[in-house]
Amino acid sequence: MILQLNNTSRVINSGGKKIALLDNINLQIEEGEFISLMGPSGSGKSTLLNCIGMLDNFTEGSYTFLDEAVHTMKEKQRSKLYKEYIGFVFQAYHLIDELNVYENIETPLLYKNVKSSERKALVADMLDRFNIVGKKDLFPSQLSGGQQQLVGIARALITKPKLILADEPTGNLNSKQSTEIMELFSELNNEGVTIIQATHSENNASYGSRIINLLDGRIVSE
Amino acid sequence: MIRNYLKIAWRNLIKNKGITTINTIGLSLGIGCFILIALFVTDELSFDQFHKKADHIYRINSDILFGGTEIHMAVSSDPMGATLKKDYPEVEEYTRIYASEGSRLIRKGTELIEEFSVAYVDSTFFNVFTFPALKGNPKTALQDPNTIVISEKAAIKYFGSVDQAMGEILEVNSNGKTLFKVTAVIKDMPKNSHFHLDFLISMANVNYDFGNYLSHNFHTYIVLKEGTDYKEFTTNFKEVVAKYLLPQMSQYMEVKSMEDIEASGNKIEYSLVPLKDIHLHSSQSIELSANGSIKYVYIFSAVALFILLIACTNFMNLTTARSSGRAKEVGIRKVLGTEKKSLIFQFLSESTLVVVIAHSIAILFVFISLDWFNNIAGKEISIKALLQPQFLIFLILLPFVVGPLAGIYPAFFLSKFQPITVLKGNLAKGMNKNTLRNFLVIFQFTTSIVLIIGTIVVYQQLKHIQTTDVGFNKDQVLIVENSNLPDETRKSLKSEITQLTEIKSASFAGYIPVSKSARSDTTFSTEIVATAENGFNMQYWRADYEYIETMGMEIMAGRNFSRSFGTDSTAIILNEKAVALTGFKNPIGKKLYKSMENNEKTIYTIIGVVKNFNFESLRQDVGPLSLRLGDNSWRTAYRFNTTDVEGFISKIQKKYEAASPEISFTYSFLDDSFLNMYRQEKRIGTIALIFTVLAVIIAALGLFGLATYIAEQRTKEIGIRKVLGASTTIIVKILSKDFIKLIVFAFLIATPIAWWFMSSWLRDFAFRIQLNWWVFALTGIITLLIAVLTLSFQTIKAAITNPINSLKTE
Repeated sequence: MILQLNNTSRVINSGGKKIALLDNINLQIEEGEFISLMGPSGSGKSTLLNCIGMLDNFTEGSYTFLDEAVHTMKEKQRSKLYKEYIGFVFQAYHLIDELNVYENIETPLLYKNVKSSERKALVADMLDRFNIVGKKDLFPSQLSGGQQQLVGIARALITKPKLILADEPTGNLNSKQSTEIMELFSELNNEGVTIIQATHSENNASYGSRIINLLDGRIVSE
Repeated sequence: MIRNYLKIAWRNLIKNKGITTINTIGLSLGIGCFILIALFVTDELSFDQFHKKADHIYRINSDILFGGTEIHMAVSSDPMGATLKKDYPEVEEYTRIYASEGSRLIRKGTELIEEFSVAYVDSTFFNVFTFPALKGNPKTALQDPNTIVISEKAAIKYFGSVDQAMGEILEVNSNGKTLFKVTAVIKDMPKNSHFHLDFLISMANVNYDFGNYLSHNFHTYIVLKEGTDYKEFTTNFKEVVAKYLLPQMSQYMEVKSMEDIEASGNKIEYSLVPLKDIHLHSSQSIELSANGSIKYVYIFSAVALFILLIACTNFMNLTTARSSGRAKEVGIRKVLGTEKKSLIFQFLSESTLVVVIAHSIAILFVFISLDWFNNIAGKEISIKALLQPQFLIFLILLPFVVGPLAGIYPAFFLSKFQPITVLKGNLAKGMNKNTLRNFLVIFQFTTSIVLIIGTIVVYQQLKHIQTTDVGFNKDQVLIVENSNLPDETRKSLKSEITQLTEIKSASFAGYIPVSKSARSDTTFSTEIVATAENGFNMQYWRADYEYIETMGMEIMAGRNFSRSFGTDSTAIILNEKAVALTGFKNPIGKKLYKSMENNEKTIYTIIGVVKNFNFESLRQDVGPLSLRLGDNSWRTAYRFNTTDVEGFISKIQKKYEAASPEISFTYSFLDDSFLNMYRQEKRIGTIALIFTVLAVIIAALGLFGLATYIAEQRTKEIGIRKVLGASTTIIVKILSKDFIKLIVFAFLIATPIAWWFMSSWLRDFAFRIQLNWWVFALTGIITLLIAVLTLSFQTIKAAITNPINSLKTE
């Protein structure tokens, strides 16, 4: 088991009223699963991903990640935890515009204080694997959307995370690029990486081993 | 890691060329000013530090109050030094400089050259002060009469080289010629010494009535033993006064004890000033050279710091203003696992990079402008000063202080962003309302406004000095030096030149109402037996029949000296201030008594009252003064009236050179000498003007950059407003309004600050302008105009953009 949510909610104050973005979620995810979160806009998919990724916090309930109680942790411990085990992939790629492909992929390693020679080897492997060696000196603005997302995934994978959180990873891509990315995810999943993706597309969702439907912050069906 | 940061920083700089340029120019100017002023301040602080005994050398100052005017002098009486050494074991050594007689003519071949840096010094001079010798042993060089020690410069000028000068004979002229043997040659005295002498003559050659405790004519320096508290030592002077001065004084007047003197409100006091403090803390009468002032050191240090802060503020404002551009990067980095402190470090290294670049440009700027700065600041700072070890360390460390200073706020501001908000993309909202940024803009403009007001007031006061009624007419008076002209030549030249149509009148005038001319302070009494009550001191000037007319002074009562009265040799003319001191209601015809040696008296009859005229700087009030009939050989003053001044001068020069070919013709204009008294103020004015302009430019640059970003951020809003029908004027107004509010606010803060500072600066002048409300109003308007102009570039551009373009950018 990689993570477990027990009665978790996220409630915010908006203009004096309490609004539950996530309402009493119970969820258990095993290692090696490929989960697709589905639901209309505003149903809480992104919030759930962010909370699982520890970028945001549940306001109620308990969250256990790799047998550690996240909800009792301090900010610092949490960030140490996600830095170690979680990789993020975004709809808008979120590459650093001022860094080229190579440097973008390398950045997470810098924050983990990986030695220079080791970094080189790791990034080279990643470039190889994604077939983007020829593009390593290009800047994000010189790449197509699909290529940018490839770099985004490469960057998420470079630290060898146990869990990948992908928020609409193909939302800005055409169908051919989408297929490529989803196939890449399947492949990664087969290698043992746990993946949670939020998506609107039935087709993309079908790549997952398990589909969870959300509506108004509640799990409506599995 | 740091390479990665610098790489990003560099790419960011390249990407935002406009902002980078503004930041770099602003910081370069700011740092450049800071370095220049640091050089200036370092130089000011370095005065007289080079003497080995610098920490133990003190000069004796005299503070004497007698009959209404207190005088603070840098000189004391001739026996004072020796007396202290004899009576007090704490005094290791003393030495005196006697420079009361002004310039000397020194012979070089057939030519006589006027030298000003001449003085008589005791043979102990080189035991006290450290001036390295090139030839001879200065410590023994001045023990015999007719010996002279000269500087390297003088040796080369008169003998061709240091080696050739040694042992040679130098002819010095003053009331006849005297020959001196060069017994040592010293290195030129450093620029940062409070006196500069090229010719040091043995004290044995001074023609002076030694042993007089009551005449103060010698600059006296003493060396105190290590560990002596000089302030405590000062208390000994009371004893010295009672033991030595009082007996001499009672020969002239009825005083039996110090109590008598003090009871009448008079005082005779001495104090010590540490050698190292003379340049910045001493402004006595008769200083050996015009000193600096610690006040200006403080003022300029503050100005330097503020200009640097204005430049740093630009950096802060522009960096935080465009934070939306960096926010995404911050968000991603945080998601990728960076910690806040390494983000802060990243932004600090970025600001330091900018500052290092600006710093290099600033040093270049200092190199280029140093000569020019020396010129306006009246300094001779060399480029080498930059390479002094201490200054070099300062230069190297500077960017690593300024960088973080400019970067610390943006670093914290930027690293604060939460990834989740940033990555969702709804960031720019609410970014315009940044209290700290508003505060920084207010700070910049407050500083600028204070500087502008300060500069205007300094210039007004300078103008006031030039136009105020000083009681004499300083325009169109030519002063010719008569040094060493035989009496007949001098007189015949004067009567010959008086025939010229340009000449209105001419006078032999040794005493002229600008500083650095002869002065003589003497005690008078209103009754034959002088007491501490009826006695008073005043200036006692010799003048001739034409003096008052030539100087353009005004007789208020009685009459001028006249040849038709045979008795005018005992006549005296007082100024209004002196009349007030005598207490006479109707002074004309009253008698005044001047004490002479052996208790004899000279009796003068007051024949006239001259209107008060400023014979010292306008910083001081007019003191009491008297004129008596007498001849002055030193100078001739000519009042002339011509438009062709050059032709007139050359005409006179020809006559002088024909009469005495050997002596060079030296002249000056009274109004120039008058303005020279205010050289320091003029310098301050120029420096203030320059730094004010720079400060305003830097602040305006910042405003420009800020306006650019705000306009950019509000592009969409402007587009929507235009689609809804807003005119260009309305848009410009909307965009400018917030800034104008800040500047008005800055004006409100700056006004009282400037008022306070400038009132206290003006208090140094007995004759000063009133602070005018319109200066403040004018400054407000100027600042607003600068701001509006700066803003208009951006606002108008934003306002006339086609809304379709701006709305499409989504």
